[in-house]
Amino acid sequence: MIDGVQLLNQNLLWPEVLVALLLLTVFVWKEWEQRREKRFWIKSVLALLAIVSLTMIVLQPARFQEETKGKAIILTEGYRKTQLDSLKFMYKRIPVENYTKGKTLSLLEQADSLFLLGQGLETYDLWQLDDASVAFLGAEPIAGWTKISHTTNVSLGESLQLIAQYAQPTQGHWAILADNTGNPLDSIVFGDEEEQVVQLTATPKARGTFVYQLLEKDSTGTILLEEPVPVKIEKGEYLKILMVNTFPTFETKYLKNFLAENGHELQVRTQLTKGKYKFEYFNGASGAVYGFSLEKLEKYDLLIMDTDTYTGLSSTSKGIIEAASRLNGLGIFVQPNESLFRLSKNRFPMALERDGQTEISLGQAVETLVTYPYKFEVDVRQQPISVDSTVIAAYVPMEKGKMGTTVLQNTYQMVLDGKDEVYANIWTQILNGIAKSDATKMAFEALTAIPRVDEPYEFEWRSLEENPQLVNESSAPIPLLQNLTVPTKWHGSQYPQKSGWNQFKVANDSTVAFSYYVLDKHQWKTVSMAHTLEANQREFGRGKGFSDTSTSTNRSLKPISLLWFYIVLLLCLGWLWLEPKLFP
Amino acid sequence: MNGAKPIKQFQKRWQQFLYVEAALYAVGFGGLIYLLTHNIGYGILGFFGALGISVWMTRPWRVSETRAVNYIDAHLPQAGYSSGLLLVPAHELSNLSKLQQYRVATQLEPILPKTRPPQKMFRAALVMFGLIFIGLMANYMLTSLNPFPSDGSANKDAIIFAPKDSLSSTIKIPELTDTKVTVQYPSYTQKPTLQTSLPNIKAVQGSRITWHLAFDGEVQKVQMELMGEHFDFVKVQDQYRLTKDLETSGFYSFTFTDGEGNEYVSDLYSMEMVNDEPPLVQLEGLDNYSYFEFGEAKQLSFNATISDDFGIEDAYIIATVSKGSGESVKFREESVRFDKSISKGSKRLELQQQLDLDALKMDPGDELYFYVEALDQKTPTPNVARSETYFAVIRDTVTDMFAVEGNLGVDLMPDYFRSQRQLIIDTEKLIAERGTISEKDFKFRSNELGFDQKQLRLKYGQFMGDETEMQSAPGQVSPEAGEADHDHDHDHEGGEEDLLDEYSHKHDSDNEHNLVVEDDHDHGTEEEKEDPLHEYVHDHGDPEASTLFAKSLKAKLRDALTIMWDAELYLRLYEPEKSLPYQYDALEIIQDIKNSARIYVHRIGFDPPPIKEENRLSGDIEEITNVNKEEEFDYQMSFASSREAIYRLELLIQGEKQFDDADSALFEDAGNELAQKAIAEPLKFVKVLQGLRDLQKASDRTKEAYIEVQRNLLSVLPKVEDNPVKRTTYQDEINQLYLKELEAYD
Repeated sequence: MIDGVQLLNQNLLWPEVLVALLLLTVFVWKEWEQRREKRFWIKSVLALLAIVSLTMIVLQPARFQEETKGKAIILTEGYRKTQLDSLKFMYKRIPVENYTKGKTLSLLEQADSLFLLGQGLETYDLWQLDDASVAFLGAEPIAGWTKISHTTNVSLGESLQLIAQYAQPTQGHWAILADNTGNPLDSIVFGDEEEQVVQLTATPKARGTFVYQLLEKDSTGTILLEEPVPVKIEKGEYLKILMVNTFPTFETKYLKNFLAENGHELQVRTQLTKGKYKFEYFNGASGAVYGFSLEKLEKYDLLIMDTDTYTGLSSTSKGIIEAASRLNGLGIFVQPNESLFRLSKNRFPMALERDGQTEISLGQAVETLVTYPYKFEVDVRQQPISVDSTVIAAYVPMEKGKMGTTVLQNTYQMVLDGKDEVYANIWTQILNGIAKSDATKMAFEALTAIPRVDEPYEFEWRSLEENPQLVNESSAPIPLLQNLTVPTKWHGSQYPQKSGWNQFKVANDSTVAFSYYVLDKHQWKTVSMAHTLEANQREFGRGKGFSDTSTSTNRSLKPISLLWFYIVLLLCLGWLWLEPKLFP
Repeated sequence: MNGAKPIKQFQKRWQQFLYVEAALYAVGFGGLIYLLTHNIGYGILGFFGALGISVWMTRPWRVSETRAVNYIDAHLPQAGYSSGLLLVPAHELSNLSKLQQYRVATQLEPILPKTRPPQKMFRAALVMFGLIFIGLMANYMLTSLNPFPSDGSANKDAIIFAPKDSLSSTIKIPELTDTKVTVQYPSYTQKPTLQTSLPNIKAVQGSRITWHLAFDGEVQKVQMELMGEHFDFVKVQDQYRLTKDLETSGFYSFTFTDGEGNEYVSDLYSMEMVNDEPPLVQLEGLDNYSYFEFGEAKQLSFNATISDDFGIEDAYIIATVSKGSGESVKFREESVRFDKSISKGSKRLELQQQLDLDALKMDPGDELYFYVEALDQKTPTPNVARSETYFAVIRDTVTDMFAVEGNLGVDLMPDYFRSQRQLIIDTEKLIAERGTISEKDFKFRSNELGFDQKQLRLKYGQFMGDETEMQSAPGQVSPEAGEADHDHDHDHEGGEEDLLDEYSHKHDSDNEHNLVVEDDHDHGTEEEKEDPLHEYVHDHGDPEASTLFAKSLKAKLRDALTIMWDAELYLRLYEPEKSLPYQYDALEIIQDIKNSARIYVHRIGFDPPPIKEENRLSGDIEEITNVNKEEEFDYQMSFASSREAIYRLELLIQGEKQFDDADSALFEDAGNELAQKAIAEPLKFVKVLQGLRDLQKASDRTKEAYIEVQRNLLSVLPKVEDNPVKRTTYQDEINQLYLKELEAYD
């Protein structure tokens, strides 16, 4: 214990000692006459004591103390009153503090074993409790939306998917996905469950950045709850497609018509006879393709060829189209016939197995489609493309590009039957899955799930640029932190200042802007509550407490109270002052 | 003192009370009338009427002094039953009476003015308030139940202009002072010209609509915008005029430019075209198919009811007579006027008509198709409507016979065959002539008919694949008739053996006219006979293998053959009367068979063009060249402008841009896109259209308006068609690496 004593003002030690010695010398010299008397010695000792006290007052001795700071309660939103009461009953006079977002907890000074009641601290405040041992006791169960996730960027024509989770729904209430003006798009009625997961789908009708709404309505149609669903809808670009066929088929003809009429740039090469071809150019396509070369294929997004063309490719040509796919992202779609499925995996990379089924049906208004008697095997590389959760096609990724095929046959029959919409739907799904997508140079990904005003919004920025620079709306630069292992990945954060759409831009290119939606404090309330609760549970563990003995002991340097030195000083000085008056 | 005065006053007061009571009733009734009719005149009339009646009922003038005295006597004990004394002059009274008079007068003097005459004022007031209350209630109910409140609607439909841009100048805004819409209906409708100020028009197709607009203040140009097209108004004197013929339904609005070049637009108005319906023709009292026997009176009578929404111009019957059958069929078309003349322009006609088939020169076997055609008065091209087509047939007695062979494509029946119908006719003739001809002749003819019947039976039997004995001389093999012909002697030399010989003419040999050269080969081997059908049909020799007819048909034919047996039997027995019912039965069955099998499909084939032999299979493709084809499709997403308008509106709502001319043009395009749809479904679209239109007005460019228009647009637009698109994604290095590795370890 003694070894633990240290002086807080260590640097003053030597001057102090000198001054003290001087003082002592002066005092001894002053009282030297009385050296023969007993009282000289008494006085000297007292003076020494006074001077030492004085020195100590200046030098402030301190010592290490092994101390337990004790327990405290932190209240956050949604705590249970009864829980607090019983804690207060168990630990008398336990300190309690209400948590405010973003503020430092003052209780931490005196307590290090914390009962955390309620949903817990915001994720960005969790660092405060790093040193403390925390018993997270949880909150009242949340009623309302606990999770909302949805596609944020949609190409016009594609559907917006929203999956949300509702805790303790009221039976008979409706969850409705509505567009930005409140027109209902999709709905589902709540059942009698503890927790309901709803999946809503809608196809946006126009491009733009919109705030769709997720509504909860009661059975009379009154809106009870309205949550924003921010969506960005972009117009997709037309594809550049090359179709190569060994002989004309109806399948090709109708696919060609479909694509050409929908504005895609399309070149169709059909072999008429040996060395003679029929070239068709639609919507500005040009430049006859006789043989494949990387340069020629570079401008195309999609290569559609029939099985005979594919199997008839020389190894050079095959190498070229595969290279085009790997390097440039060209999508390759092989129009199947039965011999394609029998090819070995070396010759055609997809895995299929014969199931003998020649029909599949789609959707609720059941459409029966004729298929080849094969189905796609489940394979790590092979990605299925499905319509109404029926697998109709699949592809394998080839680095940047994809190669795929379908099991459907004679789809043109649908057009003949007047089911143009089904036909369009099927081919849109298939080709969207396979076609090359434009590579952007940069992308960003939000790390903060629920951005709010004046709270940190963290995001990840990916850019191929050497030194990307971002600015926020008021043109202030946003600092970016480069990832150690992945040089194209950057981390940034900023504090949005207004709710609604916020933007940041690339500093040297004002045309590239990224927008994100900031919620105000009433929106997604239950979602963020659930989010916080989950984060806290992850951090502290559900119900993980601390036992009384496991209280951490902290050795810290504590100054010895100066009061003692003052008392000694006062007594000594008092005696020295009184003594001549008592015994003159 | 004069004691009469208080009594008189009392009487007067009584009368006044009664008048007031009457007046209260009258006020109540008058008030009720006024509240119901909203017309002060009726109210006053009701008041005076009720006043008269109630005054007459209460009759205040009948309140005489005597009545007053009686009342006072009855109700005031102070009067001592002698108040009447007060009215009698003092000098007429005895002393005692005078004393009493004085006493009563002094007693009554303070009381009488306070005494209230009998009255029902309270009840009257109650009735009055009751009536007024009823009136108010009724008034409230009428107004609240009335779905078309009349007030204010005229104001709503008037044309109101609003400036397109916020005004820059201080000049006075020209105001529309007069609107006149003239709808001139086509003359044939006989509708008077309609003058209105309401811009929503509904009129018959072909109507001529003229708009007159008058402005105070300087106006440069007035235009009408109709479904994306602009039409200029013409200035005539101080008014602007535009005339258009109504050809399609649509929506329109007006714009005008003032002296400063500011533009103003009006709301959107509808122009609805009502089509002139074609006449409705109905025929009654007639079956779709009528059959006549030759001998009947061939008259068709029916009632035609023709109606039209504006007026009938003409109506007549179109009758087509078809003669003959097969290739030789001939048609003759005639239009027949109705007997009664058509009164032009009438909206409904009821016509009775008789058609005489003889007058149409129809013969047996001819068919008549007819319908009634009616025209209305629409110009330039009238609407034509026709009734259903009706058929009338005169049954043919002769031609029904070629029944079965209709299936075969080959006429197998020799000309000299008698049909069943012919046989019937001949039999009937024979019966009719029985008395007039000799016994022998009768029997001869009967026998002969029997032979014909047999021939017919054999003929049909052949189709059944029956073993026929009809060789070159079928007549001789008849088991009944030809029992003597076992030797097949065609010369009939064995006359004795043939009992019928004297009756049977050589006719029975079926070759009496020597049409066929008799070949003398031996017909004993009857199995080897040549079947006349042999070349045309596959072998039906075996009855079981016969496939010519379906089972039921076969059974029918079998029945017919059996019946023919009977018919022949009786003919041979010289009892044609008994034979006749069988013959009829046979005829009926044969008719049935004939009608059940009438299908004929023409064979078509493909004649390929000739190929040059020297080129064939030579593999020479030198002349074949590449084919190039180029085509452009101008693909537009459906409602592209409307979808773009939604985007633009969102920007405006977010305040990210200001309204400018490009927006104005875009919204106009969107409106034109939707207007096409709006004609079919005006209810759904008209709100959107109006909203888009209103955005042209500066005053309506508010955030609320933007949101409202956007909402309506989103609700009416169909979803985007499926179309593959090129997406943009970020190609992440790590992902690429991962995919590459995945492939490597595959």
